[in-house]
Amino acid sequence: MAVAALSGAEQRRSRIAPLDVALRYGTTVMAFVTATIVFLVAIFLIIYAFPAIAFNGFGIFTHLEWNLGNQYGSGVEHRGGFIGAPGASFGAVVFVVGTVVSSALAMAIATPLAILVAVAMHYRVPRRLKTPVNTLVELMAGVPSVVYGLWGVGVLVPWISNSVGPFLAAHFSALSFIGSGAGSGNGLLASSFILAVMVFPIMAATMRDVISTFPQIVFEGAIGLGATPWQSVTTMVLPAIRTQMFAAAMLALGRALGETMAVLMVCGSALNQVPNSIFAPINTIAAVIVSQLDSALTDPTGMAERSLAELALILFAITLSVNLVARLIMRGSDRVKRTA
Amino acid sequence: MSEMTVSGAPAETTARSLSRGSPLVTIQRNVGWGISLLALAGALAILLAIFWFVLSRGLPALRPSIFTTVTSGTAGGLENAIAGTLMLVICGVILVAIIGFGTGIWLSSYAPPKPRELVRLLTDVLAGVPSVVVGYFGYILLVKLAGWQFSLAGGSIALTIIMLPYVVRGTDLALEAVPRELREGGFALGATYTTVLMTVSWPYALPSVFTMLLLAMGIALGETAPLIYTAGWSNYMPTLHATHSPVPYLTYVIWTFISQPFAESHALAFAAAAILMMMILVTNVFARSWLEGLARKQRGESS
Amino acid sequence: MRPLRILLALVAFSITTTAAAFAAAELLETGSSLVYPLMNLWVPVYTKAHDVKITTQATGSGTGISQAVAGVAQIGASDAFMSDSQLAQGKMLNIPLAISAQQVNYNIPGLNDVHLNFSGPVLAGIYDGSIHFWDDAKIKSINSQYGSKLPHEAIIPIRRSDGSGDTFIFTQYLSASAPSWKSGPGYGTTVNWPAVSNSVGANGNAGMIQACQGAKFSIAYIGVSYIDQTNQAGLGYAALENAAGKFVLPTEPNILAAAGAKDKETPKDERISLIFAPGANSYPIINYEYAIVHPKQKDAATATEVKNFLSWALTSGQDKTYLDKVHFIALPASIANLSKAQVAEIGS
Repeated sequence: MAVAALSGAEQRRSRIAPLDVALRYGTTVMAFVTATIVFLVAIFLIIYAFPAIAFNGFGIFTHLEWNLGNQYGSGVEHRGGFIGAPGASFGAVVFVVGTVVSSALAMAIATPLAILVAVAMHYRVPRRLKTPVNTLVELMAGVPSVVYGLWGVGVLVPWISNSVGPFLAAHFSALSFIGSGAGSGNGLLASSFILAVMVFPIMAATMRDVISTFPQIVFEGAIGLGATPWQSVTTMVLPAIRTQMFAAAMLALGRALGETMAVLMVCGSALNQVPNSIFAPINTIAAVIVSQLDSALTDPTGMAERSLAELALILFAITLSVNLVARLIMRGSDRVKRTA
Repeated sequence: MSEMTVSGAPAETTARSLSRGSPLVTIQRNVGWGISLLALAGALAILLAIFWFVLSRGLPALRPSIFTTVTSGTAGGLENAIAGTLMLVICGVILVAIIGFGTGIWLSSYAPPKPRELVRLLTDVLAGVPSVVVGYFGYILLVKLAGWQFSLAGGSIALTIIMLPYVVRGTDLALEAVPRELREGGFALGATYTTVLMTVSWPYALPSVFTMLLLAMGIALGETAPLIYTAGWSNYMPTLHATHSPVPYLTYVIWTFISQPFAESHALAFAAAAILMMMILVTNVFARSWLEGLARKQRGESS
Repeated sequence: MRPLRILLALVAFSITTTAAAFAAAELLETGSSLVYPLMNLWVPVYTKAHDVKITTQATGSGTGISQAVAGVAQIGASDAFMSDSQLAQGKMLNIPLAISAQQVNYNIPGLNDVHLNFSGPVLAGIYDGSIHFWDDAKIKSINSQYGSKLPHEAIIPIRRSDGSGDTFIFTQYLSASAPSWKSGPGYGTTVNWPAVSNSVGANGNAGMIQACQGAKFSIAYIGVSYIDQTNQAGLGYAALENAAGKFVLPTEPNILAAAGAKDKETPKDERISLIFAPGANSYPIINYEYAIVHPKQKDAATATEVKNFLSWALTSGQDKTYLDKVHFIALPASIANLSKAQVAEIGS
């Protein structure tokens, strides 16, 4: 039962008191602070990246390489009104592809599983086990991303290299996307898996929580009409909480797109190549920013650092677009349901 | 998903194919529950595997003295890192509670439709900003421009930015879920809006709000990149100064010591990871048990 | 609400009183992760005997230089000296503190306990993809002893994904000995690595070891302070061709020979590459580990502390008990003197 903002009548109905005014004013200020923070980050990125935007032009979307240029030579290169090291050429293709594909794969794996697990956590787990299970799932979100990375390097990557790769190569060798052998194990599969594990608890814990506030009476009502618990869940509960599930998924997607350390350690750090199989190395925007920031600081023209900021801006734009598109889809399907 | 469509399908066929005993339904529900329980078991198994991975490698370094000695180079204890982590997280949580709860309340209660959607969109986009970008943003703005150097204030603000989307959305969703009848009951009794919010809506929403807050805290505790650029690192106990004083934290130990050529450093890194996870577990357990009592009172759940 | 208000008041109070309250000398050393282990052997000993607080950090050479320039750190550690264009932005002292080296490791089952020979051109060929298999004729031609045992397997070149001094000195070796590499990717803490289908990027020296260990038929370049780890991991290390055409191992005498060969050429500002040094026994990949220091520290007290620590590092710190643990070697006496002269220039 979603409640929208107070209607004007509601607000007039409640007796106005100084505390009300203070609360309204205070929370509006806080909302303003939040919005300002996001705008500040965006403006920071735009200002910082501007020289790189001018220098790189559209090349950033077409070049496959990330070349800082010769920093120990003499002279500089002039493009777009700004200078960079001679031979500098920055291309974001590899990173954009890596980010989008790994996040998409991670969400594809984690979202349905999170929904299923949230349902199980509320409707199937015995009462006495509920608290421990809930705590453990939430604990998954608290594992440091570095630790996920270490586990990935120490356990997941060898497993992919020694077991998953050969298995798929033996049975699916025709499908080169999955069957061409694992190489070192670092790559798209490892990154997507780790990301899926990392975003799963965000969605599962939130969705379980939302399901637990869903009126039990509606659930039981469907059963009274002859549905099995599974049917009741899928036809009554899940559709009703679609907005909340969507909200949780958007937060999870944000985490996947922006995850830095864990991906850095298992992605294989692809340069100049886009993945042609799930075992191919990839690179993501967040990972490349972390790994290249130190090198970028040695560029005396500063163009490398600015280009990394440009990458961050591109990621910001990707996140914004995905959020907008997803919202449009949700709103569209809402409208279809209502008019049906 | 078997939507009860209104158009097209003859009622009889729909009813029969959806009846309890039909094979289609039985397969659906068995597969459904089967997969969900399997996935749950799998998730818990991975968590336990990671816990074991960390604990087994950190055990050599987990002596009581680890809590009373500061780091000495890449050896020694973790007293300073633990203290620093606690300080950073407490400051961050306080700050994010103020800003995040406030924004969430505004979103669910006061916001006109268009600004509300805008702020929700902005918060979701903020969740997608990589932690290293937040850190570098903090470095340029706070460490250099504002001249704070490496500081507790800078680190806390960086953590707050990381946690903000979760707390805002969590509060927003939790308050939205409060049943209309409950609130209108409060108004009917003549309460002001603030009273209704504080005595009816907020207590009802608190468990959900806390779920998100704990989630956010867990994520913040596990972050490295933002703190490297704002809190720096210190081999000594953190001072209580808000600025001009670097703060140590456990994730630095994990990230840096693990790549040292000494076995003792590796053990310390894993010990730091184990301690961090224990901190989150303990906080979760305490918060949960406190909330259990609250929830049972507020929701009047049929036990 | 009361506790909250008190807390906010405290926070405000701390912020306002903080600037003046930053009292006793506290130094920050940040930068190269290659020097980090050595700094962490020096600092605890030094701070126990002197009243100063020194924090060490491993953030990378680039960060070390940038934070030293910005005054955020007092000592920036770097594996590379500052280039002319970097110095144009502000004069900084590049002070060598020790000499480190780098080995080339490989993981070839059956050959890990012997030392294969590699030359700059061969390594350049491996890393640019023109040499694809281990039993390539070019590799065999320089390995008369074990060439026949080389398997027909694809080489997996492992490179550093993060910007690193190791990449800097490795690519300097390739540039110095292979003209095709020099005009191609060149050298730097990050280079535009040619696209080789098998190649893998690893994070940090520890990551390089793990990747090399996990991938059979791989090759990696790893700092000499990790040679104990690489031996433990069962990886082999190579003899590299030096400027005199001989293949030498990264042993202490060979590193010393290279250091000695270049020490007369070292200018006063000590910015010189030790790569590919002349001499029959010189190991080709060695470098000075630099402390990048601003000649004008923020106040006299800080300047004194920095000078004292660096002087100690250049005298007592050169003792084998510290350097042996990380397999570095001490600066030759003439170089140490040049460094001390630079330290004397630190003021406020």
